[in-house]
Amino acid sequence: MIIMMTLGIGIFLGFNMEWKTIEYDTSRFFSDTKYADFRLYSESGFTKEDLEKIASIDGVDAATRYLSINLELKGDSKKALALDVSENFTVSAFTLMSGEEYDENGDEIWLSDKFADLNGISVGDTITLEFQGMDISGKVVGLIKSGEHMICLADSNQVMPDYNTFGFAYISPAKLNAIIREKALGNIESELLKAGFTAEAAKERAEQMLTDEMLEQSESKVFLQINLLSDLEKAKLEEAVKEKLGKTLMVVSKDDHVVYKGATGEATEGKTMGSILPVLFLAIAILTMVTTMHRIATKEKTQIGILKALGFKNRKILLHYSFYGLFIGIVGSALGSVLGYFVCRAVMSENGMMGTYFDMPDWSAATPAFCYPVIFATIILLALISFLSVRAQLKGRAADALRPYTPKKMKKSILEKLPFFGKMSFATKWNVRDLMRHKNRFFMTLVGIIGCMILLVGGLGMRDTMSGFLDLLDNGVSHYTTKVNIVENTERDKVDQLLKDLDGDWESYSGISIDGYTATLDIVHNDKGRFSVIDEDNKEIDLRDDGVYLCLRLSGRAKIGEYIEFSPYGGEETYRVKVVGYNRSIMTESVTMTDNYADELGISYSVSAIYTDKDSSEIPSSELISGKQDKKQLMDSFQSFISIMDGMVFILIIAAVVLGIVVLYNLGVMSYVERSRELATLKVLGFRSKKIGQLLISQNIWLTVIGVILGLPAGLGTLYWMLTALASEYEMKLMLGPLTYSVSIILTFGVSLLVGWSVARKNKKIDMVEALKNAE
Amino acid sequence: MAIVRFDNVSRIYKSGDHELRALDKVSFTLDEGKFVVILGPSGAGKSTLLNLLGGLDSPDEGTITVSGTDISELSDNELADYRASTVGFVFQFYNLIPTLTVYENVKLVSEISKNALSAKEMIDKVGLLDHLNNFPSELSGGEQQRISIARALCKNPKILLCDEPTGALDSKTGVMVLKLLLDMAKNYGKTIVIVTHNQNIAKMADVVIRVKNGKIREVIEQEKPLSADEVEW
Repeated sequence: MIIMMTLGIGIFLGFNMEWKTIEYDTSRFFSDTKYADFRLYSESGFTKEDLEKIASIDGVDAATRYLSINLELKGDSKKALALDVSENFTVSAFTLMSGEEYDENGDEIWLSDKFADLNGISVGDTITLEFQGMDISGKVVGLIKSGEHMICLADSNQVMPDYNTFGFAYISPAKLNAIIREKALGNIESELLKAGFTAEAAKERAEQMLTDEMLEQSESKVFLQINLLSDLEKAKLEEAVKEKLGKTLMVVSKDDHVVYKGATGEATEGKTMGSILPVLFLAIAILTMVTTMHRIATKEKTQIGILKALGFKNRKILLHYSFYGLFIGIVGSALGSVLGYFVCRAVMSENGMMGTYFDMPDWSAATPAFCYPVIFATIILLALISFLSVRAQLKGRAADALRPYTPKKMKKSILEKLPFFGKMSFATKWNVRDLMRHKNRFFMTLVGIIGCMILLVGGLGMRDTMSGFLDLLDNGVSHYTTKVNIVENTERDKVDQLLKDLDGDWESYSGISIDGYTATLDIVHNDKGRFSVIDEDNKEIDLRDDGVYLCLRLSGRAKIGEYIEFSPYGGEETYRVKVVGYNRSIMTESVTMTDNYADELGISYSVSAIYTDKDSSEIPSSELISGKQDKKQLMDSFQSFISIMDGMVFILIIAAVVLGIVVLYNLGVMSYVERSRELATLKVLGFRSKKIGQLLISQNIWLTVIGVILGLPAGLGTLYWMLTALASEYEMKLMLGPLTYSVSIILTFGVSLLVGWSVARKNKKIDMVEALKNAE
Repeated sequence: MAIVRFDNVSRIYKSGDHELRALDKVSFTLDEGKFVVILGPSGAGKSTLLNLLGGLDSPDEGTITVSGTDISELSDNELADYRASTVGFVFQFYNLIPTLTVYENVKLVSEISKNALSAKEMIDKVGLLDHLNNFPSELSGGEQQRISIARALCKNPKILLCDEPTGALDSKTGVMVLKLLLDMAKNYGKTIVIVTHNQNIAKMADVVIRVKNGKIREVIEQEKPLSADEVEW
């Protein structure tokens, strides 16, 4: 009973604490590091004047020009950093873990502590980054964590951070200024050298030619982003921005930013998991405890009778047994809370499963408020059930209570009317009638087996679906070796040469608004088959040039054949396009079209990424390239995502098996006790222990068969429900491997047979003489 | 010819330092086809004796031979086979399986006994053919005991062992059941052993064994046992 209670409360609490802790810890970290509520993007960059205008909007608490750019570490093209500059440190700042405080005039670098740790970099070391053929060097003076990079991903295709290869760093606006100045001087010098100046003269002349105005201009071209803190609604902010700057800008709220979205997504995922499987688990645990409590009261009937006969008052006996239930409830809840804490910590702690996903300084353990009344109600329920069960035994006189347990009278069930019932073996009839006579036990056992099945199918199926999804990404969608990210707004003719060199396909993504809803416009050119666009059934789509494809998450917006309207951010145009199909989008919520169709519509776009078969080491650095990504590296990052999943699934499987064992053993013993007199009679008649054991196990097998038949669709249904609940984040297709089916069924049968066998073994010890003494 | 032989049989119950000799060096023989009554007050050891003879329990000392087989040395499985083939039981509280019908309760023994007789015929013999499909809880005590007798005889055992077979019945029904039991045993040529503290039943027996304090006080062979009708109940 205590184990059951501990497990029920522990799993319920653990999984619910997990998502609550995610919510609590991440929001605390976001607020500590002034994580931006909104991000404004402008392809032409923001001037100081723009910033002032934005900051003056009513309801904007703070604003900063912001830069975050992915740069390779010099000498190691596989390692890169997101280099961030927040001009005004009241927005998008960081928390210092060790070293020197941030200095807005400093010439140093503040580096992600995780990246530093994994790459053997410490405070005092100098690191160098490559920026469009130029070196950016600096001494690391502080090790930091930042809300902006709490989930540190190189781009939207990566799902799992890999601090070994990608981290982040901050520099001061002063240092950025110096870099821009150096770059600008370099540009002027090279022009002058071409014009015939000597190196020395060119240098001197360049210094004279570079004006503050020119510097200011270059600077504003670098700051493509304004981050701000504001409680305004997105639509209102968009309107205000338009009014202040006189143009429509892409406004991305934190809900659509990869980090916040990832954190809330994890919390939602946890909430979904927490509201299904552990609740089911707790419910089964409670049901079992209720039945067991009732059984204990029945078993104690004689003792209750003796107490009553001795002159104990009903109230005193009731109190005694209610306290018994209360005691189990309290001890079980206490142990369950400890277990729950450890389950939560196993997931949410720096060394736990989420430790590889979130990069935060503080990890706590928070409990959702509703858990307290649930635990309290469970304890009260247990006490109440013991109270009611004992009260039922106390009805009537002491002599009634002293009479031993009397099974219910037998009535013919509907099954008996079936023509084949008479032809069934004695064992089958005996078992069927036993189940009909003890419907509660029958029902509880079925619930236990079905619950076990649901947990197994749900857990393993989730993993199957996830890895099927990754397999799809690896083999069904991505056929390239390296993805080359192109610097934003690079002119097309420059990219064309690169496209030719890399022999690749390409994609362009940009923000669009569909009736105010932000989505991605994905313009694709995949003639060479370096990547595929797939449909709902994961089959490759041969894209048509006369319409767009909506991703499944957007499929509710228009039927095939209907039209939708969208307008790109940063422009005034609105396009009306026909929906010609739906596609399964791996990451972004997107509207997909071919480049031919985009050209026909006259949409202006620039290439965002090129997909090539060349290895990243074969691709020379170029100022057009903002980053390179191996597909293998990408898949590896997914793999660690899967290992988090594996951990959760492992906990669920253990829980399912323990649940199955405890529930079935409990009910098995109950069945055994209820039938001990019959079993003793069979033994006296000359039935061998083995045959009686088979009789008992065959009941278990029958129940397991029924439980598995019902549990399998129930598990699939639960899984489908979970996937639907997660649908806002991923477009995953329910996929279950034969291994999941067989492992679930075999484990359930294994548990059932093991328990059946251990209960059946008891019949060897039946005391025939003792059992026969009792009166019916 | 002796079908049962007890040689210095003892059954000792131990609890802590305390030792209770339920049977103390008991020896006797029973002839085939006889009606034997084991008589004694409560706690005399008569039920222990019956349990040992029925293979429900094993002696701590001595040997018990039934039809030439020493059953005191048999394994659990061999004892189960012995109970299935050699002895049939009739209990004070009938011990029918509540989830099986009258027919199924009797038919049950054909699962284990190779020489089982027809269940229907046995039920007919005890006069309950009309109740074939009833559950035990739908029958009176006397009727349940009749079914219990049918079940015991259906196995076609050599010996019929009865523990206070009329103990739970009113005297009128008790006599009726007793008569049936003896008639059936005689018709099928069975040895019948009844354990009771009812002196009247002893008057009908071929042999009466009186037990007290775990020892046999006397073995009386009655030349002219009374019939059930002759006994004053």
